[in-house]
Amino acid sequence: MEPTTATVSTAPSGPRARTKLIAVAVLALLVVYAVTRPSNETPFEASGTPRPLPIAGKLTAMSADAFEGVLVGLRGKAVIVNIWASWCSPCRTETPLLERTWKAHGSDVVILGVGSKDVPSNLLAFMREFGVSYPNVFDSSGEIRARLGLRGFPTTYVFGADGILRTTIVGGLTEQRLGAVLEDLQA
Amino acid sequence: MIDIGLLVSMAIMVTVPTLFVRPWPLTAVPAGVLDTALGALVIGLAVGRLSAVAFDDAGSLTNLGDLMIIRSGVEFWPGALAGLAWLTHRAHRDGVSPTVRIAALVPAGLTAWSCFEATCLLRGGCPGPVSTIGIRPDGLQTSMFPVGLGVAVAAAASAFALDRSHRRGLQSLYVVILAVLGMAAIRSVASIWLPHIGSGVTRQHATSIAVLIASSVALIVLSGRRVRATSAAEVE
Repeated sequence: MEPTTATVSTAPSGPRARTKLIAVAVLALLVVYAVTRPSNETPFEASGTPRPLPIAGKLTAMSADAFEGVLVGLRGKAVIVNIWASWCSPCRTETPLLERTWKAHGSDVVILGVGSKDVPSNLLAFMREFGVSYPNVFDSSGEIRARLGLRGFPTTYVFGADGILRTTIVGGLTEQRLGAVLEDLQA
Repeated sequence: MIDIGLLVSMAIMVTVPTLFVRPWPLTAVPAGVLDTALGALVIGLAVGRLSAVAFDDAGSLTNLGDLMIIRSGVEFWPGALAGLAWLTHRAHRDGVSPTVRIAALVPAGLTAWSCFEATCLLRGGCPGPVSTIGIRPDGLQTSMFPVGLGVAVAAAASAFALDRSHRRGLQSLYVVILAVLGMAAIRSVASIWLPHIGSGVTRQHATSIAVLIASSVALIVLSGRRVRATSAAEVE
């Protein structure tokens, strides 16, 4: 049966009003912290001798200098560098998104995976599991992630066609975020 | 790694409706909004996350660590359905009509959703289509229409309208169906503008359209029954 009347007190009592005030103050502080926390941007610009892009779908071991050479060689095209590992949970969610991006936009945007802090056999098994067909390099010494200033797995670095690092996304990518990045690169 | 933006979003999503939304009738929610709805929120998150993993990466279903990372994705509608099922179960146990209880929680639920969407600014989750009227997301060079903020406004307006209608006599069942229909409509329209990869409709968009159709059919059937019942009463 539908209720027809109800007694509703509209005037907040003293303790309740105080609780609301404290909650609002705490939330405001949290919002200020979230908005003003340090940016994830890392100052990085590739330099060195241009090198060809590794073969798509393969895992190529590479030094940090060679990796920078690949980025230099890719100037003129937007590049999304994704640092990942087989043990990283969010990597499992974002890898299919990156694969779809490579298939849908591979002619305009290069996806370059960097398997790091892992062993090649696990990285290759991961790539097979997700049918990864974009180029990947193996950061055997950890130099690549150090040079990029990696703070956590996974991290995605977006470079414009001019080779300048536009943005760094720490943590798993969502389709909306990646879609926005693609729209921005193609705008 | 803790996602501060998501953490703050969730704190706001729980706190604002708990402190600022008064359920109606209060008798349907004697324990208060937080105590009544917290279980539904937790169950909804768990089922939503399980569903997302089942759809995207079934191999991780046995890995508790993967399941715990809700920032990797939570499926909205399976989570919402699980939350409603939990509320129904608890209402039966408390001897309260499930429809009356859920309707009493509709404004708080929609406000919570509105708060979560509004705090997309803290999570970098606002981007919509490239537009001169909009905001420039962190690290991007083009301004984009903040679809998330539009969803937040629409959800808040739905909460206000349904609360007012309920207090003026709209039956609880209609409140619940209209809330679901409103959410599905908002999500269906918003999904058109959300950036996505490739062409075609995303799974989330398709699910929202399916819920929109199902809730519209439910509303039409319910209204038809009501009209027939009214006509029969007039004949008698």
